[in-house]
Amino acid sequence: MVLLTAVLAGTLTGLGYARLKGSTWHPPVFRSAWLVLLGFLPQWIAFYLPYTRKLLPDQVAAASLVCSQLILLVFVIVNFRLPGMFLLAIGFACNLAVIGANGGFMPLTVDAASRLVDPSVFNRLTIGERISSASKDVLLPESRIVLSWLADRFIPPTFVPYRFAFSFGDVLIAAGAFWLLVGGNSTVSATDSGDF
Amino acid sequence: MKNLINNSVLFTSKINKTHVHFAYMLLALVLLVLGAGAPEDIGGVGR
Repeated sequence: MVLLTAVLAGTLTGLGYARLKGSTWHPPVFRSAWLVLLGFLPQWIAFYLPYTRKLLPDQVAAASLVCSQLILLVFVIVNFRLPGMFLLAIGFACNLAVIGANGGFMPLTVDAASRLVDPSVFNRLTIGERISSASKDVLLPESRIVLSWLADRFIPPTFVPYRFAFSFGDVLIAAGAFWLLVGGNSTVSATDSGDF
Repeated sequence: MKNLINNSVLFTSKINKTHVHFAYMLLALVLLVLGAGAPEDIGGVGR
């Protein structure tokens, strides 16, 4: 949710800033955008489609997640020239490192999980196993997490109604996405282009 | 049927290419950040 919020905030900020400057906001031009579709496909099958995500064994889901992220990382590197992409790349690399080091899933610390949900829900979770068939997270105590500082260990303040856990890599990805959208494509006068 | 075709042609001729590009870019970026490992919401345990 925080990543999608960064995309929305970046778009609105980019549009607003361009209007303030009297110029036109142009969305970033991606190279090889088909890589995103290709990269997302394994995750869609393994984590989003209700029928397939329940059928796939954990090992296949883990392999799908790692392969998917590698393809998406290639896309980020191909588009490295765009503003904010270096932050996205570092964020991706952080998430990929901790996922790869922990069996192919993002570790969610027990402490974060206990602060995230009610005790009745928390007691139904099993340490060492995925949160659910739709989840990319595996619940682990901090002592068993490799690169624990990169895991899903952060929780937003209690006044935020939507509860989620996020990692250091997610913060960098959100910042990179925001910068990409705000980033500096507005060079044409609005009266000339007629855009936005 | 003829009216439907005429209306479809009229509609597609009015689509601004910039808006299409924007939608395509936004879709790519949303899929990118989702694929990056969107933060976990474990409220849906057991779904």
